[in-house]
Amino acid sequence: MVVMVRRSGNNRLAQVRMWVAVLAANRGVPVSVRLLCETAVVRLGVTGAVVTVDMSTGWSETRCATDMLGERLAELQVTVGEGPCVDAARDGGPVLVADLDAPASQRRWPLFAPLAVESGVGALFALPLCVGAIRVGVLALHRVQAGGLEPATLADSLAFAAMGLGLLLDEQAGLRAGDFAEGLPLHDPRLHQATGMISAQLDVAMADAFVRLRARAFAEQRTLSELAADVVAGRLRFEPTGEMS
Amino acid sequence: MDEERLVDTFVELADTLIDDFDVIDFLHLLVDRCVELLDVDAAGLLLADQHGQLQVIASSNEQVRLLELFQVQNDQGPCLEAFVTGVSVSHVDLTTAGARWPYFASTAVEAGFRAVDALPMRLRSEVIGALNLFRVQVGALDRAALRTAQALVDVATIGLLQERLIHRQEILTQQLQAALNSRVVIEQAKGLIAERLGIDLDGAFAALRGYARGHNLKLSDVARTVIAGQTSTRDLLATPATLPDR
Repeated sequence: MVVMVRRSGNNRLAQVRMWVAVLAANRGVPVSVRLLCETAVVRLGVTGAVVTVDMSTGWSETRCATDMLGERLAELQVTVGEGPCVDAARDGGPVLVADLDAPASQRRWPLFAPLAVESGVGALFALPLCVGAIRVGVLALHRVQAGGLEPATLADSLAFAAMGLGLLLDEQAGLRAGDFAEGLPLHDPRLHQATGMISAQLDVAMADAFVRLRARAFAEQRTLSELAADVVAGRLRFEPTGEMS
Repeated sequence: MDEERLVDTFVELADTLIDDFDVIDFLHLLVDRCVELLDVDAAGLLLADQHGQLQVIASSNEQVRLLELFQVQNDQGPCLEAFVTGVSVSHVDLTTAGARWPYFASTAVEAGFRAVDALPMRLRSEVIGALNLFRVQVGALDRAALRTAQALVDVATIGLLQERLIHRQEILTQQLQAALNSRVVIEQAKGLIAERLGIDLDGAFAALRGYARGHNLKLSDVARTVIAGQTSTRDLLATPATLPDR
């Protein structure tokens, strides 16, 4: 019985990918972050969806917003330097705010919350797109009406976030959207240990180390897990010079 | 079994639950104390995420971590069985477990383990995860040790479920997702430290943890500062290896 629940968990991501792929096929365009946001609005029953991307400067930039309100919420958080998306990016966990007007929300974000309510939003759900210390961005879903996400909707929104993360990581690694289709082995600790080792070998940030690892796996047509296992075992080292850029 | 140490452990677990609760630190404490108190050689713990999919949250060493991951990936092994059925699973000689868990048995034996126990983290009908205890010797875990293990697991389970009762479903998701990401941060930091200091991953983890304990910080917070370059890898080794336990 529990095993079935487990399988349905894996199916959620597959389901979300399919929804987005169907929309892309109907429009005759490639799968993109924008299509993902549009699909999320329809499937999750939210007012709008926004993806912001973390820049190397430490600022976040809006990549895609399905409505003006979403755009405004993203800008507001950058301006006042606080808000659910800021917290989600910093802590690496979702920040789900069912009622921005509630005292707890107003206390937590004294600058952002009143302004957000004033601009007409009731609930905001910020889902970080990150791999450990590698911050890629945030998927934010908002509703005009206050109220929490149903458990099934919450699980779906996490699947949307997982897909968004994959799309942005592919982009960073210079791969086509969809190249990650077989899935990143993010549950494999060796992938992350290898990333840490490469970051020390090349003296680069964790994000760059991850990109280098993926690019190499792609170039050598090997799986990330295989390559990561080689790095962790010391069979493969990344050299600072004369290597792939 | 050192009874005084055991009592201390229960107090320690209860203390962890009260103040600033961190799922990873809490469960690492649990697996470590299991190895220390129960005459087992290694321990690993898996928790189900909001999809019901098991995730490796804590392990006493790297080898066990991979063995747990292997169970999840191959959908087979004592931990999965304990989680799915909600009852304890025991196999006293893994060299004869080939029919029961073809992939898992051979991998576990290859890793040097001969006996395994898996205890569900269960409260009434709800199963939230499972604990694996490994031994390098063939033979059953003695009854007293098994009872103690179950008591430790029960305390941990009630602790985690209490978190879920007090808070709502949403809070749980926020915590578990953040904990899973923290787990990744820790792995990245381990790789970085191992490479910089020329030590193995278990050694890197020990250094990370020694520093966290010595400075009364969360593991994941130290891992983040190491990655950000705010804590130097050299400082990690400067921490005294043994610290008084409360």
